[in-house]
Amino acid sequence: MDMETDQIYQLDVGNLLAFNPSRRFPSPPSSRSFVKECVTEGTKLVQAIADTLFNLSSTETSDGPLVQLPPPSTKLPRERHTEQNLFGRPVRGFVKSFECITSMLTFFVSLLPRPKPPTKWEEFALKKGIQKRKKDKIVYDETTDQFKRRHGYDRVNDDNDIPIIEAKASDEPGEDPFAKRLDDKKKRVGKQEKNRLQNLKTAAKAGALPSHVQLAVTALPISGTKTRPQKIGKEALGDVAGLAATSTASGGKFDKKLPGEKPPKKQGKHHKYLPVVPRYGMVDEEKEQTNKLGDKHVQRQEGEEEVRKIR
Amino acid sequence: MRPLDENETTVVFEKIFKFVGNNLKNIVENPSHEGPEPEPGRYCFRLQKSRVYYVSESLVKRATNISRKSLVSLGTCIGKYTHAGSFHLTIMSLNLLAANAKHKVWLKPTSEMSFLYGNHVLKGGLGRITDSIVPGDGVVVFSMSDVPLGFGIAAKSTQDCRKLDPNGIVVLHQVDIGEYLRDEDEL
Repeated sequence: MDMETDQIYQLDVGNLLAFNPSRRFPSPPSSRSFVKECVTEGTKLVQAIADTLFNLSSTETSDGPLVQLPPPSTKLPRERHTEQNLFGRPVRGFVKSFECITSMLTFFVSLLPRPKPPTKWEEFALKKGIQKRKKDKIVYDETTDQFKRRHGYDRVNDDNDIPIIEAKASDEPGEDPFAKRLDDKKKRVGKQEKNRLQNLKTAAKAGALPSHVQLAVTALPISGTKTRPQKIGKEALGDVAGLAATSTASGGKFDKKLPGEKPPKKQGKHHKYLPVVPRYGMVDEEKEQTNKLGDKHVQRQEGEEEVRKIR
Repeated sequence: MRPLDENETTVVFEKIFKFVGNNLKNIVENPSHEGPEPEPGRYCFRLQKSRVYYVSESLVKRATNISRKSLVSLGTCIGKYTHAGSFHLTIMSLNLLAANAKHKVWLKPTSEMSFLYGNHVLKGGLGRITDSIVPGDGVVVFSMSDVPLGFGIAAKSTQDCRKLDPNGIVVLHQVDIGEYLRDEDEL
C-alpha cells in the first residue's frame, strides 16, 4: 500500500509496518553516526504510520478515539504446511498406510482444519432464526418457591418428584402414566443419540473431525462412502490416549495398558532448574543449595577424621 | 548458562573437596570485589555447554544479556562434564585449588620438566611433601619456587613414601600447566 506523502514508503497499516525500499547507508555499520542515522530514518517511518492512523476514520470512546485497522497486507509464513505432498500436488485428507510402498512416499500430512458441515439442528436454527440462549445454573422452582439447580441433586423438574399425574380424557384406562413418562424419555434420548451419530457421520464424510473424535467414529459403520477410513498416525494416537487419560481421576496412571503400549510421557517440565540470577527480593535458592551442600562435605570430613582418630 | 543441579553441585564439590578439604568453605564463600556494588558479592558456579564456571555474581548478572548460543565462556572454567556424565577438573582450576590446597608436593627442578610433559611424579623427583596424605587424596604439585605446576592423585601415603624405592610413583598425574600448549584447542 503506497502513501502519497513526501517519500514513497511501503506501508502495511494492518501490521503497523512501514518499509523504506530506497534507503542508502552512507556510513559504515560500526560507527556511531550509523546509529543516529538509523534513529532519524526510523522516526520518519513511524511518523508516516502515525499520519495514516490519524487519517483513518475513528470512533469516540471513553478512552479516546478508536481506530479500526484495515486487514494486514503482508503474508506471514504459516507454522504448519498446507495440504501438499512432496511432489507438490495437493493431497486432501489422504494418508497412505505403510503397505503401499510402490506408490508415493508414506508420511503423515498435517492438514488445514476443515470447516465442519452444520448439524441438522444448526441448519434448522439458521432457517428459523433461533438464537442460542445461555441457561442459568440456578432456576426458580414454582412448586417449592425456591431456587434450585437445573441439573443434578435436588433439581428443578425431577421426574421422581412428581406425586400426582392428572388423568386426561385421551388416556387409556390400564396405562401407567409414570411408566409412560419414563418410556417417552428413553425414546427421546435414543432419538437424540441417533441424530448425534448421524451428524458425526456427515462430518466424518466431509473429513472435518478432530483426531480424538475420529478414533471414536471408526467404530461406527459408515456405509455408502467410497473414502477409506483415515488411519491415524502413532503420534496422534498417543495424543488421544493422553487426552483420555487426563479424564480419569488419577490421570491415567492405573489404566490397563495394551501389550506394547508405552507409559505416558511425563507431562510438564522434565527438569526443574533454579533461576540463573536470583529474583529481586526473593530467597536466593541457589546460594542456599551451595551452602547446604558445602556444609555437608565439611561435616562428613570431620566425621571421618574422628573415625580415623578412634582407629 | 544455568546454575548447577543438586546432583551436579554434589559431584563438583566432591572433586574439589579431595584437593581442598575444609577450605571448600573459603571457595564457596569467597567475597568478590568485582562490579560497581559497594558490598562484596559472592562467587557462584554456573553451567554452560557442559562446562562448569566459577564466576562472581555481578559478572553473572551482566552475562545474562548474552544469548546461550553466543556465550563462550565466563569467569574461570574449573571443569567439564564428559559425554558420559562424569565431571573432570581442568587446568584452569589450578589457581583456585592451589590457593586452598590441603596436600601439597614440591618437585625438584630436575623432574619438573618430566611432570610438565605429562608423566607421573616419581619418588626420586620429590622435594618436599606435606604430612597426613592418604592414598586417593588430591595433591597439588608445586615447583621448589612455589609455582603451582598441576595436580594429581596421591598413590601412596606419606609414610609409605619414605620406604619407597626411587622409581616408585608417588603422585598420579592428572593435569599440568603444559596442557596449555598441548591441548590448546580443547580448553
